[in-house]
Amino acid sequence: MKENIIEFEKFEWQYGNNANFKILINDLKIKKGSFIGVIGPTGAGKTSFCYSIMGVIPHLQTGEMKGSVRIGGVETKNSSLSMLSRKVGLILQNPLSQMSGAGLNVEEEIAFGLENLGYPRSEMEKKIKEIIKLFELKEHAHRSPFELSGGQQQKVAIASVLVLEPDIIVLDEPTGYLDPLSTEIIFNLVKKLNKKGKTIIFVSHKFEYLNKLCDEILLMNEGSIVKKGSPEEIFTNIPLLKKNYLGIPEITSLFNRLKKAGKWNKEFTASVEKAEKYLKEEFPWMR
Amino acid sequence: MDEIIKVKNLEFSYSLEGTKVLKGISFSINKGEIVGIIGQNGSGKTTLVKHFNGLLKPIKGDVIINGKNTKEEEISELSKTTGYIFQNPDDQIFNNSILKEVSFGPKNLKFTKKRIKELVEKALKLTGLSAVKNKQPYDLPYNKRKLIAIASIISMDGEIIIFDEPTTGQDYLNREIVINIIKELKKKGKTIIVISHDMEFIAKICERAIVLKEGRILLDDSVQKVFMNKKVLESTKLKPPQITRLAQKFKRIYDGTLTVEEFFNQMYK
Repeated sequence: MKENIIEFEKFEWQYGNNANFKILINDLKIKKGSFIGVIGPTGAGKTSFCYSIMGVIPHLQTGEMKGSVRIGGVETKNSSLSMLSRKVGLILQNPLSQMSGAGLNVEEEIAFGLENLGYPRSEMEKKIKEIIKLFELKEHAHRSPFELSGGQQQKVAIASVLVLEPDIIVLDEPTGYLDPLSTEIIFNLVKKLNKKGKTIIFVSHKFEYLNKLCDEILLMNEGSIVKKGSPEEIFTNIPLLKKNYLGIPEITSLFNRLKKAGKWNKEFTASVEKAEKYLKEEFPWMR
Repeated sequence: MDEIIKVKNLEFSYSLEGTKVLKGISFSINKGEIVGIIGQNGSGKTTLVKHFNGLLKPIKGDVIINGKNTKEEEISELSKTTGYIFQNPDDQIFNNSILKEVSFGPKNLKFTKKRIKELVEKALKLTGLSAVKNKQPYDLPYNKRKLIAIASIISMDGEIIIFDEPTTGQDYLNREIVINIIKELKKKGKTIIVISHDMEFIAKICERAIVLKEGRILLDDSVQKVFMNKKVLESTKLKPPQITRLAQKFKRIYDGTLTVEEFFNQMYK
């Protein structure tokens, strides 16, 4: 049995400046090495959830916290942000809010975190080289991050967190601004890091990637985790998705259409690959 | 059909010695068309559409909007015809109330008070912002600011409306609002150009798609035909919507299937 690396217990967070919004997570345990997807409509509390893993809540936000969040057994409220930042890397929606601005060029921007953690120069150079190669940023290595396109900026932001190789990587809609190619690169990269044993918390609207890659999905709404389940369990549950203002995957809709017409009474899927298999088995004439 | 946009051998670069972002682009768009422009970041999509309201001018070739060459027109003139909704609303919004922001364009165009009031009310209603019109734009979250940016362009009632990635960062509900806005504009006969990476969104609203790669047009065809062109899609790493990809796994289902209903009807018609 793998150990729990993230534990929420009777956690409550009330923002000081918003009496109407409260985060409530009674009991959540995440095992080391898991890949967790987080979905929910705008305002569901997804970003606050990310903040409470990183320790931004309670350390940088005003409000009142009850209960506990433990990262690797250590309570976030008893730890410091700099300690937590060695364990948890947070990647935000907007790449610009993440840039230190300290680096004159992409290479220096990526080096910034490593320098702060006191890595020896030779190791630093090796790590930077690797990540620049992985992200295909070589041709931009000596340009200012602020001259790059939005997608390229997000790549730099993600690279500068990933280069630190934290145990837990929390990504809050990192691909929102990216094109399909960069999105695929980010998801594949994160999957690679997950295979190396990193614990991943990935907030995204891109359900197809989540369906393919995640061990579990947390569906959030109104500050709480409404449902926890396997990706297929969540993404084929039309009433649940509708109730929480989430889109229905087209493949799920197709199975629902077939069911309504009395042509399907087995389980649904939200994946193209599985749908192909299911339909070819059930309707050989379609092949 | 009335040609409202004509692009002839358009070339553009941001600096004299810089590499060309657009490398000889030609096409035309008729009044009332809804055209998707797709391609990876850096393929020149935004640079291209910024030529339609004169924000950028060709270094070679011509862009003709409603019969007028953009080289000979002021941005203020062109903006009567073409409204461009920025990808990042914060590049666009500058007034301190939503109502002021949405009224700014039509006031500038010197419309009558009555017309301004009508247009602003319609734009606010369509974007679902009527109830918050007196708030500061920056009191609203990013995804709602995107709707403010849309409202402040459609209130100008231009013939051409350009949406630059309207669904990025949007959740399902806001995405539905954007789809509805575009459908309403289509009903009014507006010409609509949409830049998007969201292929499901393109499939839902566009009839035609132009695929750009490295400053050139790779393909310009109906959305169905574009999604069926595996070679071009692979070279640009674009993926058709789920239902289209599933359809392409079956001989008996049309490879250009765009909706669940179309798929179902081919199984049981």
